[in-house]
Amino acid sequence: MNRRPRTDPWIGLILLMTGAPLCMGLVFMLGYSTGLIGLLAEGFTLRHWVRALTDVQTWATLVYSVAIGAASLGASLILALGLQAALGARLRRGALRGLLFVPLAVPPIVAALLSVEVFANAGLLARLARAGGWIDTPADFPTLLYTRSGIGIVLTQMTLVTPFLLLLLDRLSRNERVADLAQVARTLGASHWQAWRGVALPVLMRAAAPVLSVYVLALMGAFEVPLLVGAQYPAMISVLIQRRLSQFDIATRPEAYVLATLYGCLSVGFLLMLFAARGRREASERGS
Amino acid sequence: MMRRALAWALSGTLVAPLFLLVLLSLTRHWTWPALLPADLQTRQWRDLFALNNGLGAIVLRSLGMGTGVAVLATALGFATSRSVARHPHQDRLLVLLHLPFAVSPVVLGVSLLYAFLRVHLAGHIVGVMLAHLVFAYAYAVILLSSFWNPQVQSLTELAVALGAGRRHVWMRVLMPLARPLLTVCLLQTFLISWFDYALTLLIGGGQVSTLTITLYQYFNSGDVRLAATCALLLLLPPLAALGLNQRLRSATVATRLEAWDA
Repeated sequence: MNRRPRTDPWIGLILLMTGAPLCMGLVFMLGYSTGLIGLLAEGFTLRHWVRALTDVQTWATLVYSVAIGAASLGASLILALGLQAALGARLRRGALRGLLFVPLAVPPIVAALLSVEVFANAGLLARLARAGGWIDTPADFPTLLYTRSGIGIVLTQMTLVTPFLLLLLDRLSRNERVADLAQVARTLGASHWQAWRGVALPVLMRAAAPVLSVYVLALMGAFEVPLLVGAQYPAMISVLIQRRLSQFDIATRPEAYVLATLYGCLSVGFLLMLFAARGRREASERGS
Repeated sequence: MMRRALAWALSGTLVAPLFLLVLLSLTRHWTWPALLPADLQTRQWRDLFALNNGLGAIVLRSLGMGTGVAVLATALGFATSRSVARHPHQDRLLVLLHLPFAVSPVVLGVSLLYAFLRVHLAGHIVGVMLAHLVFAYAYAVILLSSFWNPQVQSLTELAVALGAGRRHVWMRVLMPLARPLLTVCLLQTFLISWFDYALTLLIGGGQVSTLTITLYQYFNSGDVRLAATCALLLLLPPLAALGLNQRLRSATVATRLEAWDA
């Protein structure tokens, strides 16, 4: 079953459709950023790399992207875990069962538009606060969007990610028979909290780890949400790359390629480490 | 009681944004601090579909691009997934297929841009669809790899033993078995193209207008009401697909998880 001819055209198609565009893109990006090709080709130079790597904004953007990605996933995970623990089997009953799928049909650009209408200083939340008598003017409402803290991005990502994580946790808890395991722990004398913290949580986190680790990469590279509700500075990496690329001054274009190369290599490196770690863990599990 | 209240509150939170979009798309005046619009009108919808607006063409283009990408990605992905499932280095191939998702769409778009400019695909609908196809194809292969399990293998061998030819095995055995998964794959890959903004912006370079690009243009020009109307159009196909078919809903989440968890 495992013996396959070496030249399988479909395997060749994978290389053509995924490996080739990325490798070719990397070569072009390196060429453009080192002055070998493109509108600003002037012969080999590391000037753009030096400028980008010594620019504080580059590193601030990378750290900011990681922080916002991790914060979005962390906050969504905490909320999803809390809701799952509180609602349990009710997640699979009534209207909620179907409504949890609604956010899966909402693209990030629409979620960002809704965030502006809900979280802005004159948005729906501010109007409710005014109706409740807590504020008088839009300026009294705390600024949630376009801030350096990135709270608007995190809140928007949470609205997209939490329902997905809730469905994930619900499915995993059934697959891993978490309720049965927690029941055993309670029979042995554990309290409800101890059974959840000592049994259910570790089982769920272990089962969800592969999905979560890939998801954090997607959140770090998010574009539409930080573009619409993020601050000018610091910008998330995808937004900064797009800005450098589309600025009127084409001299910033090689720096866009430097940033894209840098982030591309870092994220691919992270993915390879992830798969290597998973491979080692599976091998050790098979061994034991 | 508390659980019930929480479930109702969560249900309300999930459905409220849709009502907000509908309200925005019908709003005439909605000034601070009113909780509801003072006047409603259907002008946004009429403006959007006015003959000189060109939105009809944009919707058709987006639908055409999404359908083309979905059909191509699913067809190629189904054939490829069989080879992946049987390959001795399946793990390495799956790493390769995850690469487009690791680098963000913007990085992929930037990396493709120069090559596409050279071959005159930048600013062209075919170039944008090819860029979408990179993601959609990778997703389809990862998703459909789970189909090729030992049970399917046994059924295929049985059909061959009973005298079925290659074509018959595909048409009478494999396709009927794979139909539910193929339907989910078609929907998901359609959505990859239908929802995309970054790749269309970078590769399309302003020459290829889709619904997401139009939505951003309205938002950027300060016309939130038309942007909300566009947003509702964007939500229509996925909500209709998920609302019409309960099995599709369950399968969508299950397969999404399998795709990430491959």
